[in-house]
Amino acid sequence: MSGAQLARSQPRISVGRVSPVDIVLWSLRILVLFVVFAGTIGAIVKDRYTAAQWFDFVMFGLTIGAIYAQIALGYTMVYGVLRLINFAHGDIVMCGAFAGYFVASPLDRSGFLTDHPVIGMAAILAVAVATSTGIALLTERIAYRPFRRVAGSGPLIAAIGVSFFLEQTFRGMFGSSVKSYPAPAWQRSTFEVWGFNVPRIDVLVIGLAIVFMAGLYLIVQRTKMGTAMRAVAEDAEAAALMGIDVNKVVVFTFVLGGAMAGIAGVFYAFVYKQVYFFMGFTPGIKAFGAAVLGGIGSIPGAMIGGVFLGLVESVGPSLFLDGLGIPAPYQLRDLIAFTLLIMVLIFRPNGIFGERMAKQRA
Amino acid sequence: MSLLQVDDIHVYYDKIHALKGISVHVEEGEIVTLVGGNGAGKSTTLRAISGLLHPRDGAIRFEGKALGGLGAHDIAALGIRHVPEGRRVFGRLTIAENLDMGAFTRRDRRVAKDDREQMLALFPRLRERYRQLAGTLSGGEQQMLATARALMGKPRLLLMDEPSMGLAPMMVEQVFETMGRIKAEGVTILLVEQNAPMALGVADRGYVLESGQIVLEGAGRDLLGDERVQRAYLG
Repeated sequence: MSGAQLARSQPRISVGRVSPVDIVLWSLRILVLFVVFAGTIGAIVKDRYTAAQWFDFVMFGLTIGAIYAQIALGYTMVYGVLRLINFAHGDIVMCGAFAGYFVASPLDRSGFLTDHPVIGMAAILAVAVATSTGIALLTERIAYRPFRRVAGSGPLIAAIGVSFFLEQTFRGMFGSSVKSYPAPAWQRSTFEVWGFNVPRIDVLVIGLAIVFMAGLYLIVQRTKMGTAMRAVAEDAEAAALMGIDVNKVVVFTFVLGGAMAGIAGVFYAFVYKQVYFFMGFTPGIKAFGAAVLGGIGSIPGAMIGGVFLGLVESVGPSLFLDGLGIPAPYQLRDLIAFTLLIMVLIFRPNGIFGERMAKQRA
Repeated sequence: MSLLQVDDIHVYYDKIHALKGISVHVEEGEIVTLVGGNGAGKSTTLRAISGLLHPRDGAIRFEGKALGGLGAHDIAALGIRHVPEGRRVFGRLTIAENLDMGAFTRRDRRVAKDDREQMLALFPRLRERYRQLAGTLSGGEQQMLATARALMGKPRLLLMDEPSMGLAPMMVEQVFETMGRIKAEGVTILLVEQNAPMALGVADRGYVLESGQIVLEGAGRDLLGDERVQRAYLG
């Protein structure tokens, strides 16, 4: 049963009586709208940032958004097939980042990454993808499959348990210190387009993310297994009656999600230039929010939701908060991201693409 | 050897004893129907055959092979296709993709393509809407698609659960007419219907179920004329 149907079956508050909850919710809406509008006007009037700075904000927003989008795909696909929120997915990202680190670090020290950037990057990504995919598959087999037929919150608790397990395992094996990710000179350099300085790493991350996400989209839309995945997401029982092995489809889903998480982990580490055992938590939660924002279960929704969230949290502080005279607004970008998530969960839990989905199902 | 042999199966939903020893056999080339009121156990019998439910007791054999312990997808691969109650087409997939999913277990792509042409010839409405989402089809069209999707798997035995449910009278006629054509192609059919007169009219043999047990069995025509069936289901 979809959310829309559930909502309809609940008793409505009668017109003319306003509950305290309504007042709080309306105040929240008005407050957010006020911050957005007043802040934007303030920012325009103050004119504190140059065009180049705005360009940087947008560029960074697209970069981090592309990473969120890739992580969000893992949440949305697993939710679509299993109706499970895979809370360990952020930690799968961390596993990929760590695996990439152990390749990148020696390659950088030996100078290989500077001399052969393409081969070096390919090796880093390949190892990260293999690690993330492998751990995602083990997680599914050991922790999720036994809970498949369990009703209630069992599977969700299992996912949270896996999250803690992965974090603490990596902490135990590699320590709790923050390790700095290698950043060869070509990654730090920029090139000029129409007078703007474009960081190479941003272009690399955005470009590759587009390629990988387009590839994933084609796999899901055009291949037999991809179609089977969409069929299972819609009606697993009917799919089994067609001879589709639901377990194989679930494994396929975790392979796709794990691979995207591995790539995203390497990108995230390259952008923030560090790895540590808890690094998957924040992008994981944000990407989950991005998946909800786009309509959980929807693949284009996850992509658009991720990019949108990245842009809002990157441009938002300067645009909304600076204009209101809030000091050091950039430190509040997580506040903006999470406010957006809470707003979506309260006011539009089906997400941007969610409503269409619910209609089609009815 | 019967194509399908169901021997004294017992199915429970938690503590509810839903099937209390059902025995049914279906011979090659037949249309066999299970009729009976709501909750008699007709759908449960089909779900047990296709592996969606596992009987606690009894045995099901298909072409002599015991199906106990096999998953639904394994049973489908053996050549049993179940068109479930409520049609259950994939609404967010196109008609083309629904048909492809029907042929999921098949390796011979080129032959599958010929079969798709055959399906579109059998149901011309589906050709008109080939690239549309199945969710946009009417109930009758969805029944056509569900049937075509099942036939794409080249089944030897087709299980049909309430194919006429919720359809306009003209569509119901068409559903039963199609069944005759499917039979002529050499596919055996086990049919579950609430519409007993139509089902018994088209069937070679029938079973009457009541609260999880078979109370009558015989040739379709005989059951149609039987006084007890008349009283209970034909009003």
